[in-house]
Amino acid sequence: MLETLLERFRRHDRLALARLLSLVARGEQVEEILAGVGEPGSGAVSVPRGLARVVAVTGSGGVGKSTLIGKLIEPIRAQKQSVAVLACDPQSPLSGGALLGDRFRMPARPDDDGVFIRSLAAAGGYGALAEHLVDLIRLLEAFGFDVILIETVGAGQGDTVVRELVDVLVLLLQPETGDDLQWEKAGLLEVADVIVIHKADLPGAERVEAQVRATLALGTGSDVPVLRVSSRTGDGIPELWQTIAARPLRRRRQQSGRDLLRLAQQTLAARFAAAEAAGQSDLRQLLAAWQQGEISSAQAVSALVRFLANELET
Amino acid sequence: MTELHPLRVVLAKVGLDGHDRGIKIVARALRDAGMQVIYAGLWLTPEAVVRTVAEEDADWLGLSLLSGAHMTLVPRVLQLLREAGLEHVGVIVGGIIPENDIPKLLEMGVARVFGPGTPLPEIVSFLREHSGAGHA
Repeated sequence: MLETLLERFRRHDRLALARLLSLVARGEQVEEILAGVGEPGSGAVSVPRGLARVVAVTGSGGVGKSTLIGKLIEPIRAQKQSVAVLACDPQSPLSGGALLGDRFRMPARPDDDGVFIRSLAAAGGYGALAEHLVDLIRLLEAFGFDVILIETVGAGQGDTVVRELVDVLVLLLQPETGDDLQWEKAGLLEVADVIVIHKADLPGAERVEAQVRATLALGTGSDVPVLRVSSRTGDGIPELWQTIAARPLRRRRQQSGRDLLRLAQQTLAARFAAAEAAGQSDLRQLLAAWQQGEISSAQAVSALVRFLANELET
Repeated sequence: MTELHPLRVVLAKVGLDGHDRGIKIVARALRDAGMQVIYAGLWLTPEAVVRTVAEEDADWLGLSLLSGAHMTLVPRVLQLLREAGLEHVGVIVGGIIPENDIPKLLEMGVARVFGPGTPLPEIVSFLREHSGAGHA
């Protein structure tokens, strides 16, 4: 059942992607799925390499996150890049139900296979979702999307967790959003990589921009861009995408150590399974020698690692 | 699937029909019953609805039509679902549907037609009772 799904995923079947996203979002069979999509040499899909640009859009409810994401799809597609959207909405702590109403603000592009939009219910704010978010991102990356846009549930505060999982965190503000002391509160401006004064066609946008810039100027060495954008008129949308696309890929910079090790482990495990299934004589002899105590565990490990490394090259 | 998981229901309006009061009330009721409701919105083409069902991995699709175009639009959606390999997704229809058309829609493959005045718990229990094992 899962094997069939993974096979279809590797053949670029969007229904298989949709089903695997459901499983991972519920925390079911996550290890197996990630190992399955990450298996090297399987054709269209290779090891997830962290090549996608992952962008999170956050801000309080009603600030226009869905609408802006819908607008960003246009310049991304104009550059011939494919894009997946993960739109998160809160889940009721009482009933467990959720009304996921983000995608209807995004343009329907039924003929465009370069766009994939998925709604997610986030239980209790982030806790549970953030846990799976990294795996959902890996799944979309393995499918081959160039850009992954994540719409947060819209707290705007306490987004530090999400920041670590993405390359660029975009914070949306709008005119008439409290006084300038709001900006001094921890966890809002300081986590943003790009700040957008949204609904810039409304009066008061310049004032909010001035307040934000003044607050940022008090900090040290802040190079956070501040842009005025109106999704209604379209003003600032192309500039916003240019700005996002020019930001360094934080995730890949942080990925170097532990994530590379994890990918290596997955690759070696897959090679081991394949060699074992094929009844490789070198591997059998190595196992036998170790089981009979002819070589120490340390020696067996080095020999196994050498063996698997060679397997990779052939 | 071993664990129970909430039903995922896409609710949509197809064609030129701006009456969304009913579908929003149904959305609320299904949410309160613990389902994950994806509200796909108004004025959608059948193609856009089917694309949404595919991407959202939905268990059910609820179509609301008050425009009188149901005998054109519903069969089109059903056909596109089949073509997309989504025949496992159940389809329910709500709105203004004349009595005579209901058997025809059911014959085409609609699971149930809910007219005006349907008690909301009736929709909830129908979806629960007619979903495969493994759903909460």
